[in-house]
Amino acid sequence: MVDENVLRDKAKEILSSGEVRRLIGWKRGTYGYEAAPCVITDASQADDLIFDATCVQNPASFITLEEKLPVPRGQQPDTRKIAVMVKGCDSRAVVQHLVEKAYIRDDVVILGIPCRGVIDRRKAEKIFGEAPQPVLAVAEKDGVVIRVNGEEKKVSREEILADKCLRCRYPNPVISDYPLGDEVEKWADDDFSDVSEFEKESPEEKWAFWEEEFSKCIRCYACRNVCPMCYCVECIVTKLKPQWTRRSTDLSENTVYHIQRAWHLAGRCIECMECQRVCPMDIPIMTLNRKLTKDVKELFDYEPGVDAEAQPLLASYNPQDPEEYIM
Amino acid sequence: MINYRPRIGVYICHCGINIAAVIDVKAVVEHASKLPGVVVARDYSYMCSDPGQGMVREDIEKEKLNRVVVASCSPRMHEPTFRNTLKDAGLNPYYLEMANIREQCSWVHEDPAIATEKAKKLVEAAVAKALLLEALEEKEVDVTPACLIIGAGIAGIQAALDIADAGFKVYLVEKNPSVGGHMAQLDKTFPTLDCSACILTPKMVDVANHPNIELMTYSQVESIEGYVGNFKATIRKKARYVDFDKCTGCGICAENCRLAGRIPSEFDEGIGYRSAIYIPFPQAVPAKYTIDPERCLQLTKGKCGKEGPACAAVCDAKAINFEQQDELVEIEIGTIIVATGYDIFDPTRKPEYGYAENPNVMTGLEFERLVSASGPTGGKIIVGRDRKGEGGFEPKKIGFIHCVGSRDKSVGNEYCSRVCCMYLAKQAHLIKDKLPDAEITVFYMDVRAFGKGFEEFYDRVRREGIRYIRGNPSEIYRKGDDHTLIIKVEDTLTGTPMEYEADLVVLGVGLEPRKDVREIINLFKLSQSTDGFFLEAHPKLRPVDTASDGIFLAGCCQGPKDIPDTVAQAKGAASSALIPMASGKVKVEAQISVVNKDECRGCGFCVEVCPYSAIELVEENRQGNIIKVASVNEALCKGCGSCAAACLSGAIQPKSFKDEQILPQIAVLGVKTE
Repeated sequence: MVDENVLRDKAKEILSSGEVRRLIGWKRGTYGYEAAPCVITDASQADDLIFDATCVQNPASFITLEEKLPVPRGQQPDTRKIAVMVKGCDSRAVVQHLVEKAYIRDDVVILGIPCRGVIDRRKAEKIFGEAPQPVLAVAEKDGVVIRVNGEEKKVSREEILADKCLRCRYPNPVISDYPLGDEVEKWADDDFSDVSEFEKESPEEKWAFWEEEFSKCIRCYACRNVCPMCYCVECIVTKLKPQWTRRSTDLSENTVYHIQRAWHLAGRCIECMECQRVCPMDIPIMTLNRKLTKDVKELFDYEPGVDAEAQPLLASYNPQDPEEYIM
Repeated sequence: MINYRPRIGVYICHCGINIAAVIDVKAVVEHASKLPGVVVARDYSYMCSDPGQGMVREDIEKEKLNRVVVASCSPRMHEPTFRNTLKDAGLNPYYLEMANIREQCSWVHEDPAIATEKAKKLVEAAVAKALLLEALEEKEVDVTPACLIIGAGIAGIQAALDIADAGFKVYLVEKNPSVGGHMAQLDKTFPTLDCSACILTPKMVDVANHPNIELMTYSQVESIEGYVGNFKATIRKKARYVDFDKCTGCGICAENCRLAGRIPSEFDEGIGYRSAIYIPFPQAVPAKYTIDPERCLQLTKGKCGKEGPACAAVCDAKAINFEQQDELVEIEIGTIIVATGYDIFDPTRKPEYGYAENPNVMTGLEFERLVSASGPTGGKIIVGRDRKGEGGFEPKKIGFIHCVGSRDKSVGNEYCSRVCCMYLAKQAHLIKDKLPDAEITVFYMDVRAFGKGFEEFYDRVRREGIRYIRGNPSEIYRKGDDHTLIIKVEDTLTGTPMEYEADLVVLGVGLEPRKDVREIINLFKLSQSTDGFFLEAHPKLRPVDTASDGIFLAGCCQGPKDIPDTVAQAKGAASSALIPMASGKVKVEAQISVVNKDECRGCGFCVEVCPYSAIELVEENRQGNIIKVASVNEALCKGCGSCAAACLSGAIQPKSFKDEQILPQIAVLGVKTE
């Protein structure tokens, strides 16, 4: 965990050095359980920055979103770096970006923050109800101390932390220029039991499940927009020539959309779970992603977003690749 | 053309009965005629024939067709044919789409009803794609009028002479210090018994003296880049440690070398010896000495005797230079001929023949050196001499073994090496000539005397009293302490197991791909056939071409062959290489990849996967921002589509195989009719 003052001082230092053009981090949000992502360009704004268990957003998503505005005549484009604050899971997105050459290592300054987990809004609402006022939440080794509407309480991890945190294998950033705070101990492991459980169901049961879930989808594309790995210049979903998916929201097209989305993340998903968090219809999107993650791990012994020198799984070729994936 | 409503003509081929025997062609025509955009649908017994093509041409004119679908065989077979048909009729050749209803349908399905349904589907899919075809432009690039030939064996020499005689520049690169290759090692050639050196050395001298040939011996190709017509090669000229211009080839250095007569000669297959400074053989071209850097005392130990290197001391021309360095030369060429030859099978991989233990078991090539007048024994058949040339004996009983390392799955060589039957017959004849009293037995599986004059020669050899026993020896071992060998064999004609005594056994070793074949493959992006030799573009119709335009094959690197076949192929490769050079222009692939710059994010995955190095990232100024986008070199791209597979955002696509063109095809195939 990190002292917020250390974080702010580092941000001030980096911003005033003129090395970076902007810094992406978190600030207090308008809804209690979730901090808001923020982009600051000046050292004077650094005091807004926070880090606690409400900082669930993945700031790495914003690195690739920056729009390149036309440069006025006579001026030079700002080619300074972008600084980004990352938790363990967020840092994997940066690594995967580097693997996919979304940008190069020299383009980013990474402030790595060790993390003991972030809270799940849905779980918290069940315990405390809605939280219009800022919530203070500090994850500790044995639970989360949370202050909602003036009332402080300590809750067990299982009750309140996001599912991704309960199986987190990378609590410390896997890549960083400035590691802030002391490293934390790894507390969990991932056995993919959730996927194995689901796999046991019959094809009919699985289909019935997804039919119901996909029927709920309103195609708001929030899952796509929040995903750090969805950064194509033009998304296949909006392409008209050829049109892979029609825009109507019916079961057939929704299914196509979700399968496309999941398959496009095969060997790329770094499991920040943002897609599922932002879904207004509570579709368990990660279940599909997790299945692919498991398959990729079992078939190719590949884990995305860990090694910045790795080859992207589906854009590289190895004669020894297993052929079981061919259906 | 976009303004025109598509008017499609569909032509279903019977291919004799290849298609019509299984598929109800009339039903497919009927189905096709109702498809959207189709104006005419016809069938014909052989669409590729002149009347068949004439039908298409006529319809293009009369019916104002602007798209043509031919349902017949694989596009690999006849796409070029029908493209020309369209071109002749004034239509862009890329308005053609083919449906393969032979290989993918009639040949693989038995049930006519299902096969006909599938044929209908395939035609429908082709029509769906035809609606979206685009006219493509065929471009031409200039050709550098020079040819690089790798390997100066008989194949490389012949190809070099032909191209040079036609008036084009040739760079002939040879790895060894002399040209000549394996043919220079041979004594007589079957079946005419010409002296190999006598017919080869004049050609070797010719390549050295030809004004159009730049001979680069003791050199290796380091890298190749570019494409047909415009290759760039880097050649490493290895240091000879002898000044090429000063050396007169007198040979005093070799006589005075401290290692004289101590190093097994590669040219004599290890039965003769040489110095550390050497020429491979007396007729070597160029007749310039070379110091073996792995053996020379001065080069390996930094010290040669007390007085320093004797070779340098005795050289009047002051040609020896231990400071010489490798030299890199860059050349530009239009075409390349690969003539890298072969290696002989290593008989230690058949331990039952006892090659490693018994000096009087030798390979056919060693025997060539033994029997050669220019060999270490001066052509006398004496086996088992020591390094100084003393001792040894004249063999009385000699066995020849066929198919050592050929037609043998146990060593991974299923193929016939094509030369062993005849060279063993020739060698048996040569022994009979020199040692008339010798008892000669040849052990064979089959005798394949297929070439011109081969059967006659084989007959002649048998009449000379040489015994042919049909059987593949199971074991060869030494009997007691003397040099007598026992050949254990079953005569398969009578079914009797036998043991033969021999004091010399010659193994008819086969031909294998070179051990460094991988390096050559990586260098030239060649493919191998299952036997490991280089793969030609088509086994029958393009036997000297490779999959890479402008790169041709000659000689045994493509597969085992005898000297006449090698020369014939070399001449073929030479004339194929001359075509682009003589015309001065080559057509480049029109179905190349195109980049949608608006979708490209400049990651460069396409650059990494492109097997032809045809893509690069270029900087583009977009409203003041410098961004990187992929750019395709139109001359290099072959339209293989690897880039499209690697592109995460679908920004690069091969023309004629764009997603938007293929998707409707898939859609048709995915929907069930009736």
